[in-house]
Amino acid sequence: MSRLTSIITSCGEKRDLALDAVCRGLDLAGLLEECRAMERFRRETDSFYERVRALFFLYAMHRFHLPRVVGDAPRLIPFDGYENLLQRRFEEAIEVFLAAQEREGASAAISSALAASYRALGFQTLADQVRRSVRSVRGNQWMFRAGHTENYPLRLRKELLQGEPAFPILREATPVRMDLTHSGWSDIFFLGMDFPEGARVVNASINLAVHGAGGSAPSPRPPVEAWFRVIDEPVIRLTSVDLKATADVRSFDEVFDFPRDYLGLLKAGVIASGLVPPGIEGSTEPLEPLLERLTGRTGHGIELVTCVNDIPKGSRLAVSTNLLASIIAVCMRATAQIRTLTGGMEEADRRIVAARAILGEWLGGSGGGWQDSGGVWPGIKLIHGVNAAQGDPEYGISRGRLLPDHKVFSRTEIPTATREKLEASLVLVHGGMAQDVGPILEMVTEKYLLRSELEWQGRREAIRLLDEITGHLQRGDMRALGASLQRNFEGPLQTIIPWAANLYTNTLIERARREWGEDFWGFWMLGGMSGGGMGFLFNPQRKAEAQTRMQTMMSQTRRAMEHCVPFAMEPVVYDFTINEQGSQAVLCRDAEALMPAAYYTLHVPPLVRTRMPRLSAVRRTELERFTAACRTRSEYAGMVETIFDHLLPAGQMTADGAGQSLKDLLQAYGFDRVQHEQIRQELRAGRIGLAQNRLPDTSLIEDAEADPLDESHRETGIDALAVGQVAVVSLAGGVGTRWTRGAGVVKALHPFCKLGGRYRNFLEVHLAKSLRASRQYGAEIPHVITTSYLTHEAIAAHLDAEANYGYPGPLLLSPGRTIGLRMVPMERDLRFAWEETPQQMLDAQAQKQREGLHAALIAWARSAGEGSDYTANLPLQCLHPVGHWFEVANLLRNGTLLQLIAIRPRLRSILVHNIDTVGASVDAAVLGVHLASGAGMTTEVIARHLEDRGGGLARVDGRVRLVEGLALPREELESRLRYYNSATYWIDVDKLLAAFGLTRAMLEDAAQVDAAVRALAMRMPTYVTLKDVKKRWGKGQEDVFPVAQFEKLWGDMTALPELQCRFVEVPRVRGQQLKEPAQLDAWLRDGSAAYAEGLCTWRESQSLE
Amino acid sequence: MQVRKAILTAAARTQRALPLQTLIDSEGNKKALLEILIEQSLAAGVEEIAVVVFPGDETSYAQAAGPHGACVTFIPQPEPLGYGHALYCGHEFTGSDPFLHMVGDHLYVSTGTTPSARRLVELAGQERCSVSGVQPTRESLLPRYGTVGGRRVSGRSDLYRVETVIEKPTPTEAEQRLLVPGIRTGSYLCFFGIHVLTPKVMEILGRKLAEAKGQPVTLVDALAELARQEQYLAVEDTGRRYDLGDPYGLLIAQLAMALSGRDRTEVLRQILELMADRELARSEAGAAR
Repeated sequence: MSRLTSIITSCGEKRDLALDAVCRGLDLAGLLEECRAMERFRRETDSFYERVRALFFLYAMHRFHLPRVVGDAPRLIPFDGYENLLQRRFEEAIEVFLAAQEREGASAAISSALAASYRALGFQTLADQVRRSVRSVRGNQWMFRAGHTENYPLRLRKELLQGEPAFPILREATPVRMDLTHSGWSDIFFLGMDFPEGARVVNASINLAVHGAGGSAPSPRPPVEAWFRVIDEPVIRLTSVDLKATADVRSFDEVFDFPRDYLGLLKAGVIASGLVPPGIEGSTEPLEPLLERLTGRTGHGIELVTCVNDIPKGSRLAVSTNLLASIIAVCMRATAQIRTLTGGMEEADRRIVAARAILGEWLGGSGGGWQDSGGVWPGIKLIHGVNAAQGDPEYGISRGRLLPDHKVFSRTEIPTATREKLEASLVLVHGGMAQDVGPILEMVTEKYLLRSELEWQGRREAIRLLDEITGHLQRGDMRALGASLQRNFEGPLQTIIPWAANLYTNTLIERARREWGEDFWGFWMLGGMSGGGMGFLFNPQRKAEAQTRMQTMMSQTRRAMEHCVPFAMEPVVYDFTINEQGSQAVLCRDAEALMPAAYYTLHVPPLVRTRMPRLSAVRRTELERFTAACRTRSEYAGMVETIFDHLLPAGQMTADGAGQSLKDLLQAYGFDRVQHEQIRQELRAGRIGLAQNRLPDTSLIEDAEADPLDESHRETGIDALAVGQVAVVSLAGGVGTRWTRGAGVVKALHPFCKLGGRYRNFLEVHLAKSLRASRQYGAEIPHVITTSYLTHEAIAAHLDAEANYGYPGPLLLSPGRTIGLRMVPMERDLRFAWEETPQQMLDAQAQKQREGLHAALIAWARSAGEGSDYTANLPLQCLHPVGHWFEVANLLRNGTLLQLIAIRPRLRSILVHNIDTVGASVDAAVLGVHLASGAGMTTEVIARHLEDRGGGLARVDGRVRLVEGLALPREELESRLRYYNSATYWIDVDKLLAAFGLTRAMLEDAAQVDAAVRALAMRMPTYVTLKDVKKRWGKGQEDVFPVAQFEKLWGDMTALPELQCRFVEVPRVRGQQLKEPAQLDAWLRDGSAAYAEGLCTWRESQSLE
Repeated sequence: MQVRKAILTAAARTQRALPLQTLIDSEGNKKALLEILIEQSLAAGVEEIAVVVFPGDETSYAQAAGPHGACVTFIPQPEPLGYGHALYCGHEFTGSDPFLHMVGDHLYVSTGTTPSARRLVELAGQERCSVSGVQPTRESLLPRYGTVGGRRVSGRSDLYRVETVIEKPTPTEAEQRLLVPGIRTGSYLCFFGIHVLTPKVMEILGRKLAEAKGQPVTLVDALAELARQEQYLAVEDTGRRYDLGDPYGLLIAQLAMALSGRDRTEVLRQILELMADRELARSEAGAAR
């Protein structure tokens, strides 16, 4: 038996051996033998756990260990394997890639494809098992069998049908949960099911209020509420008060269409509660008969209303899971699936609500941990994994059960005094960042399965710390508790996932330490990562002061970092109390049967416009009650005025204001309206668009060879550097659309990783490399940073504040001169991107959500006007930079090149690179190759791996050039190109000027330069692209819209016959780009980060504050 | 254990006319439902029968009992305090004896050679404990019935040891608490409506009624406790039950009885004729248009 398979099949400590420890000692033959044995093993084993772990071992061997020994010679990755991978036919993809490996020998390229396939299959296997387990939880199974109204078994409790014409309202109020520790994200499903002993969470149910909101602070209360009642219309009426959304659902299709509106969570609750069972999805029967069976009355339906009381998104308090649980609970109470109609719940009922919440999250395509619905339980509790026993659906499949057990701490175990101390010392905040925790949870799963030494030690330490934390709680020692929580954050959590921390959080902790010294007792990370919901423990005597100061401190830090860190909202401080009841329901009858006040601002205006005789009896009664409440109840005071404001909106001030500001910006940045109108006409006429980006189908596109990196030219490069012939240009006009999914931060300034012991942004890394190169070659290298209207001010201010990060050489900013105005996309382009271009299919449920979302976005494009200006967002989010072709050309137009020549008259070569190509550097050998070749431009290319999509090096109709992915007539052509463009260019200044028809002397003549740039720009293809743009609204809510924009790309310069271009192959660590945060973990682990760090010389810089 | 007594309940205010409905039995004889139920009880070996009625209904019920009046006692339920209370009204009648119980608005049609009531009485005598008739029932019908959870008695394919009893459970609760190994997925053992009960049930009912202080108590509440206190069995019944209170309940019950009796052919012929006439009339009307 192979060493690795024996780890998987062992019991005891051997099971926890690290894959890395074994693989480090293996050569290529040894690794391939282990891979073959593991592949056989995973196919033969019946054990779910063994299969999953084997898949992750295979992934890790191909991702991290084989590339280390196999070298990175370029190889083709079979397109049929890639297609299988996109279609989620993982087994078939693996077969294709293994056959290629067998045929051509191992290679880093094929290993990249195998790694991606094994990883995806691993996660799919896990997801399938969780789904099976959720469905097989007793109490959930029947819902998947109920496929027709005739089989529908639920009936409303009679109490809800009494009191016509207006029926009573059942209101559920649910606290949220606050994790003291989750033992290193041990609440992820797989960990609980495989390692129940290590899956433990301590959390508390809490009430919340925003501190100081509205002058007089409201007292904390359960933050999520759900209301349920019968109505005299045969619909399911859903209203989210906080999202200001309402809909009357009339068909099963609408119930299952989550992305259609903002009511997806309510719909998931309706389904997971069994009110409309999941088994009925796809039924073509009308909804009305089901409602008739449910209510026992013809022409009646139900209304469900939810409200999240002032708690913004990203609070890390599992607000959405607990809201889902609240919806499920109220619906289950109403249908007698929970024994008690009002008050608290019995343990069995809480457990089924938690199971249904997991189901609801799966239906909605989101994924919480198994402890997230902790708010349903009262007080402080230990939630822990449980071994699967005979009779459990998981028995024989996994070691642990899907659902954990909850042990609520009694007042003897954690006395009242301790609970009061906790309330008196903790300052609970939302830092304002809203980030996706999903990738972190995937990393945790992966690292758990691989048992990498450090991370496994971290996990064991986190498990130990839970006992320590519980001990401090039981003793009531808050200072010690703070210290343990801080240790948990700085130790195991960041050992397992370095990305749990960030510069913003660390700055806050540092400032708290400085300001409160010994009275700051520790930082407490809530939920999956820091930056959003967080806790700071203080000496109780200073809590009030700390609450006020933390608000100021967070706001200041946010302002200092708003260009480099994605904030979704202004930070807030909460007031909180521990909720000792858990989720509770009350039945409101007669005059008390009122919805929350804000509900009426949504529903009354349309009713007021309706003639009285046409109002149903229920609505009439309700209006009477509401009117009475406005006179007598404080929470409804002022509602009449508010409703009038809704009836008669006070002009279009906001929209006009935004429009004015956008107009100013367009004017300020030299927006070319004529060109814009021309592009719009062409877009609408279909002359340009995603399909038209492509080269003619008749183009002959073949693979081309790159030059090897010939070290013998190093001396030539060194000589050129020593005499000041070289400058560096970092392209920093972008806002990292993929990095933050359209949040609009300056990517160059994003502190993406800890390097050299502290957080560094991309800009600092590039300057540190130039510093090192300057020292190494004995000449200060001029460094240019190109900017755009989106990035210029922020970068300039930042460099100023940081004193250029101590960079002693010439540092110039090259401001952008061209901007575009984004447009609402054409339906045909959206369809082309989503339906005709190969896309990574998602897991079945997520794919369904995505298709629904696409339909909704196509409807949005139609209603907003295809090809019209995109203006319904913050002005800066409506503009776009027009591609890095202009960033280079602007060096000529804005005088930067002239300045460079003035500083370095002997300037001959410019290194141009993307801001996210972290390994790009002034390498004398590459420069030497460039100089020796006499080329006008030398492009660095890397051997293509699976993830490198977007064109590459090709021979197009006989000319070797770069070709953009957008321009390839067919997708499979890309897989025939072995080299990927790293977008790092060495440019000969004079030859470039010649290509523009210019000379150094002519650079002084701005008009001539402008004309030359315009003339060459005309020869460059214009690509229409779709970009995601975030629109923020409400309390941390974000919508992502696809918008159309155009761009010209520098790589197309290689198609110019008058510019002689060469292409040199460089190592991957040098040429790879960081486009998404999800890449960071592997980048750190595979040696890329260490490589980049080795190129840098850090200067101590001031902090960002 | 000898079962010599039976209680029929017929006191529900809205259902009290149902036992008086006239049906034609399988032999072609006109009988009230009450008379049929009394005959089924007597055929099971019972000698004394009590019928719990709405106050004032005694006379009409005595007429409906037909020739069996002598062995029937009528007990009025003074207040409408629910099913459990109605049954408890017979506690003095049953005393310390076990008794057969059937509800007065259902018709039971056996498919086997031994009538359902008699089978239950015999089984209770052998096992010396309470026995309820049950039937596997689809989960969509759970809102209509009391349902039991338990385990099959080894060596018997139709007999179960009852561990839990829940009145009209939701499928959510049923899946969690009432799954019976060996019963098809999505089906549960629901009461058939015939029970043989020990005097313990009356004792439990009495206590629960006292605790409930006027709130309704169901028989199921008492049976759930019975299952915790002494052996309690459920036997699968292959017969059919018909609730005369359902829409068309009387018609369906009559048809069921007729189709399993002497006049089956005649009844079938008439149904077919009825349908054929209707179709003919419809097609003629269509042709005329």
